[in-house]
Amino acid sequence: MSLLSPHKYLFRAGRSFQVHSSKIYVLQEPFQLTISTKLATASRTLSSSSQLGNVADSRTLISKLEPIERTSPQSQPVVELPVKPWEERLDNIDLNARLPRSVQALYLRPLRRKAEHGLPVCDLQLRSYSVRNLEFFADFALRAAYYLNLPISGPVPLPKIVERWTFPRSNFVHKKSQENFERITLRRLIQIKDGNSQAVQAWLAFLRKHAFYGVGMKANIWEYESLETAKNMDQALLEVEKNLEPHLSRFGRRETETSETEGSLSEFLGNERLSLNKGPLANARSG
Amino acid sequence: MAGQYSRLLDLAKVQCRVFSLNFNPERLRLGNKVLRQRLRGPALAAWYPKNTVSFRDLQDTCKPLGLTTFDEAEDDREEAIQIAKLRGKGRPKKKRTAAESRTAKKKK
Amino acid sequence: MSQFRAKKLDLSGFINSRIIRDHTKRKVFEQYEPERQALRYIIRNTTLPARARAQAQLQLSQMHAYTRSTQIKNRCVAGGIARSVIRDFRIARYQFREQALAGELPGVKKASW
Repeated sequence: MSLLSPHKYLFRAGRSFQVHSSKIYVLQEPFQLTISTKLATASRTLSSSSQLGNVADSRTLISKLEPIERTSPQSQPVVELPVKPWEERLDNIDLNARLPRSVQALYLRPLRRKAEHGLPVCDLQLRSYSVRNLEFFADFALRAAYYLNLPISGPVPLPKIVERWTFPRSNFVHKKSQENFERITLRRLIQIKDGNSQAVQAWLAFLRKHAFYGVGMKANIWEYESLETAKNMDQALLEVEKNLEPHLSRFGRRETETSETEGSLSEFLGNERLSLNKGPLANARSG
Repeated sequence: MAGQYSRLLDLAKVQCRVFSLNFNPERLRLGNKVLRQRLRGPALAAWYPKNTVSFRDLQDTCKPLGLTTFDEAEDDREEAIQIAKLRGKGRPKKKRTAAESRTAKKKK
Repeated sequence: MSQFRAKKLDLSGFINSRIIRDHTKRKVFEQYEPERQALRYIIRNTTLPARARAQAQLQLSQMHAYTRSTQIKNRCVAGGIARSVIRDFRIARYQFREQALAGELPGVKKASW
């Protein structure tokens, strides 16, 4: 922005201003330039402040803009248009340009759904050697759960696992000089309560897809079935058989079928790809 | 009393059948614990790192397709051998028979 | 034993003859473990005829030494050392120290308390 020449600058600023408010001033010649330059600075600071999502900035902006209001030629209107005071209009701009709620929420603590029954469905344990990664990923998991409508409890900090080793620094003779090493595993437990099992699966898959470096995950899932599981399975079998029918009908060779593919089969077996490459690097892998 | 015991026994029997356990009221030694043990072999056999794909393997797969590969390290090695040979520092010739061998010469 | 050894080297990383030997033993044990367990079951089962159990004992004792799990010794993957090998990392204490100080083992730090 700052590198642009004043003319282009004006043009840009005017456009961006129009976008913000649908009403346009029609002004007399001598005033137009001064006002539009002021507008330019105003809209520029505005746009930058709206990017930051900072409310305080726009407030200071309004106080800065007050002199413009005095110079604006509202006393001698050429075309009568409904005109709002500056402050109101700028407030509107600020409202229109706010960040999406989901983005604003990132600056706040993660939102949570309320569990209705409190029935645990999934226990996710996160493990890491660094607190930073762990906290970050736990936060991420909570937010993901919120958008998947999963009530969540946690992250509960579980006891650290401290492993320590002591070794002589050199040979057996120098047993007196030893060195200690340790590895501290930090853990967080996130529990999902009465969520839909498919949503839980989706949540876990999402976390696996966006797995964070240095953070391990372990999940225990509980599923609840009705007492008539066997009956339901029997009912589902009919459906499954119906679905499988077209696939199974193509499986194997029918005795009644005449072999039309015989010629092409020998061709297929003589194919270069089949004879040369029995799977690349097959030898190395079988070792 | 006896009837009660037999009923308890029946219950235990059913329990064992449902959860596929061994019903053994006399506590005989059936060696069942051996069958319950897990196989340790796969875990033990995975101790040392397995062979991974090497450049040689790549070469071997490329060769039948008529593609040429260039192994710089191998090339360097062969060149060094050539130079050593020219200087007379190459590998001594393999002794094929006992008569040719050095120990046989010494004995004489 | 050479009859068990793989015809083509199937290891990578640090290799010496003792590592190859131990690896061979591990593979042989893996192969024969079900058989050994079956024999052990027959031996322990007191309800089976005494003759069968005695036969099983004989067979088990006549199996090759390489099929025994006691022949297996954990060796350092990075140096082949058989003493003071840490199971979690599969390396011996000196390699452990070197790698830990170089920061190659995730999470392992010098401790002082």
